[in-house]
Amino acid sequence: MRADLFDRYSYADSSIHRLPAALKLAVALAIVIVTVVLPVGRWDGFMVIALLLIGVAAASRVPGSFIVRRLVTLEPLALGVAGLAMFQPHGGRIFATMLAKTTLCLLTMILLSSTTPFAALLDVMKRARVPDILVSTLALMYRYLFVLVDEAQRMRRARASRTFRPGRWWTWRTLTTVIGQLFVRSTERAERIYAAMIARGWS
Amino acid sequence: MTYALELSDLRFSYPDGSEALRGIDLRVAEGECVGLIGPNGAGKSTLLLHLNGILPEFGGRREAAPSMIRVFGEPISSANLGSIRRAVGLLFQDPDDQLFCPTVFEDVAFGPRQFGLVEANVREAVTRALAMVGLAGFETRAPHRLSVGEKRRVCLAGILACEPRILVLDEPTSNLDPRGRRELKALLAAIPATKIIATHDLELVVQLCTRAVVLDGGKIAADGPPVDLLADEPLMLAHGLERPHVLQHRHPH
Amino acid sequence: MHIPDGFLDAKTLVVTASLAAVGVTAAVRQARAQLPPRKVPLLGVTAAFVFAAQMVNFPIAGGTSGHLIGGVLAGVLLGPSGTVLVMTAVLTLQCLLFADGGLLALGANIFNMGIVGGVGGYYVYRALSRAFGARAKFLAVAVAAWCGTVMSAVATAGELSLSGVVPWSVGVLAMAGVHMVMGVGEALITTLVVLAIDRTRPEILADGPTGLPLRGTAETVAFGLVISLGLGIFVSPIASTWPDGLEKIAGTLGFLERAVQTPLASAPIPDYTLPGIGSPGWATALAGGIGTAVVFLAVLVIARLIVPRHPASRDAS
Repeated sequence: MRADLFDRYSYADSSIHRLPAALKLAVALAIVIVTVVLPVGRWDGFMVIALLLIGVAAASRVPGSFIVRRLVTLEPLALGVAGLAMFQPHGGRIFATMLAKTTLCLLTMILLSSTTPFAALLDVMKRARVPDILVSTLALMYRYLFVLVDEAQRMRRARASRTFRPGRWWTWRTLTTVIGQLFVRSTERAERIYAAMIARGWS
Repeated sequence: MTYALELSDLRFSYPDGSEALRGIDLRVAEGECVGLIGPNGAGKSTLLLHLNGILPEFGGRREAAPSMIRVFGEPISSANLGSIRRAVGLLFQDPDDQLFCPTVFEDVAFGPRQFGLVEANVREAVTRALAMVGLAGFETRAPHRLSVGEKRRVCLAGILACEPRILVLDEPTSNLDPRGRRELKALLAAIPATKIIATHDLELVVQLCTRAVVLDGGKIAADGPPVDLLADEPLMLAHGLERPHVLQHRHPH
Repeated sequence: MHIPDGFLDAKTLVVTASLAAVGVTAAVRQARAQLPPRKVPLLGVTAAFVFAAQMVNFPIAGGTSGHLIGGVLAGVLLGPSGTVLVMTAVLTLQCLLFADGGLLALGANIFNMGIVGGVGGYYVYRALSRAFGARAKFLAVAVAAWCGTVMSAVATAGELSLSGVVPWSVGVLAMAGVHMVMGVGEALITTLVVLAIDRTRPEILADGPTGLPLRGTAETVAFGLVISLGLGIFVSPIASTWPDGLEKIAGTLGFLERAVQTPLASAPIPDYTLPGIGSPGWATALAGGIGTAVVFLAVLVIARLIVPRHPASRDAS
């Protein structure tokens, strides 16, 4: 995975990008809350929120194709579960409402994440008194996410280039060994990070 | 005379029993630039990790008294570890290990904050350090979106922000393209601090260092002016090294 | 299994968020008190590892593929508190960075996958490997991974049903059914990964790499309560919403009357409905929660009385 696959636009610039992260998080939270508590079948309410979000999307200058692609990859999960709602009286209405709500909330979160660098959100959490250990875990996770995903892919490729007996069981053994190795390497990397931290005075 | 660094009979074994350092004696005067060369597994990185007190604390056992390492005359102890770590800046081999914060600013600010600077001074230190490595304006960038050369320079800025008197660098030019290597060397040449550089880049040793130390099997095999040592073909080959191209037409003596 | 926003209603969101908050607080407390400083970076890197591991796709059949969830893997590798912290980080980042899993539903997702799946799975692993010894370790991992996955799915179904969007009988059949199959994959992957780690670095499995004590009494109680309370609340709607599914079958088969006529014992909370609380869904849930808590406490007290206490050295190691 290339690093910029997901947060390609969060470092871009627009009037929306320049708003404080805390404000954006609060607004996103408010939109999600309003969307969730709207009763079944309030189509006018959903329309208002949708128009608002489309306006924000336009102002943010994040390409519509990117937003739609993100929506499409996330929607099937929602569709599957929402489908279960059909098995009850008024199932159709509940299904449609769930779908509308989920889509609006997804759109909100996609807009938030593609107009706000994750580091800025971490800063908001720190100021909101989220426990230190959680914030530092999230910060390190974000930092090493890309490193580890790259590492996993390199290991997979190295394995695949030496695999001459394709077969499902073989593939499974290979992939699980890759994950196991990745964990071992992760613990070793954590040791080196600790060394780098104390080298600069951390205690 | 007080040396910047003084190692006397430094020995170290890893917990698995492997002996990494078997009695190192080394004195480095202030302002010297020492190139530490030798084959893979010679103990270069292990030696460097001792210079600001990471290794004995981190694992393994040291076999003699803690007075084996002195920094500006002070033996390293748990009481002065903080000031030693501020005086000795350590650049790690893999910038991904050293750059652990989500933004460049946070990372460069990490050291100064740990050493107790107030926020205004932290900002000032970060701006100055980034300007020194030629990355002014990179504050809000995310480390995973930088090139290897940029990452290494941010790491260096993170160390310079602590204003160390001794710079300890582990393979600073590895994985860099020729331009990145050239820029980094120019940068290092401009920093006045005492420098210890472990490297396989023998041209760097010739160009930057005032002294070369050959380490092999956990012991010092040779110590002297870079041009003399590196032009000594039998010595170089005996320790898995080679005569660099810049010295191809020079002969010792 | 990431629940998006828009599926759960307000009361379910509040309940799941509270349960998750209790669990996360217990984990944070234990980590603050007992996590050695040199292990602090390990939590973040392990969280990144779980995320990276989830991106490795396994071929299943006919061109489809599945991937690891990782709750139980984290549980076996890190123990209860470490797992809760790591899974909380994973789910929070997935929500904020990838919009995977809702913002308001974050509590529910942490509860389902981190606490019920991860910690619950860890306890299953612990119990089985205690009962059958070291030789059955990998079997214990497999069973724990399967159970953790299915328990997460059942909790999810319960939350959807309590929110009134998916009837319980349909939800539990679909979610648990699907995850009984997916759980086999999860079990296989988790076991093979643990085997691979055991072959290269056995000491990681023996000590637990975070150095957090694997069983602090306070945390065991906190996690146990959160899990049983949650499952009690979410799974008890069986009592009220069962009729639309199984009771019909039961009714046709004619054993419903017999079941009603012969109560095993007069329960302290009659028919799972507390007097004075209007909404039957709420009342059932509350009653279920209280009932579970009572049972949990009773089991805990009995266990304390009859099981000889281990020497303290075991916890300290």
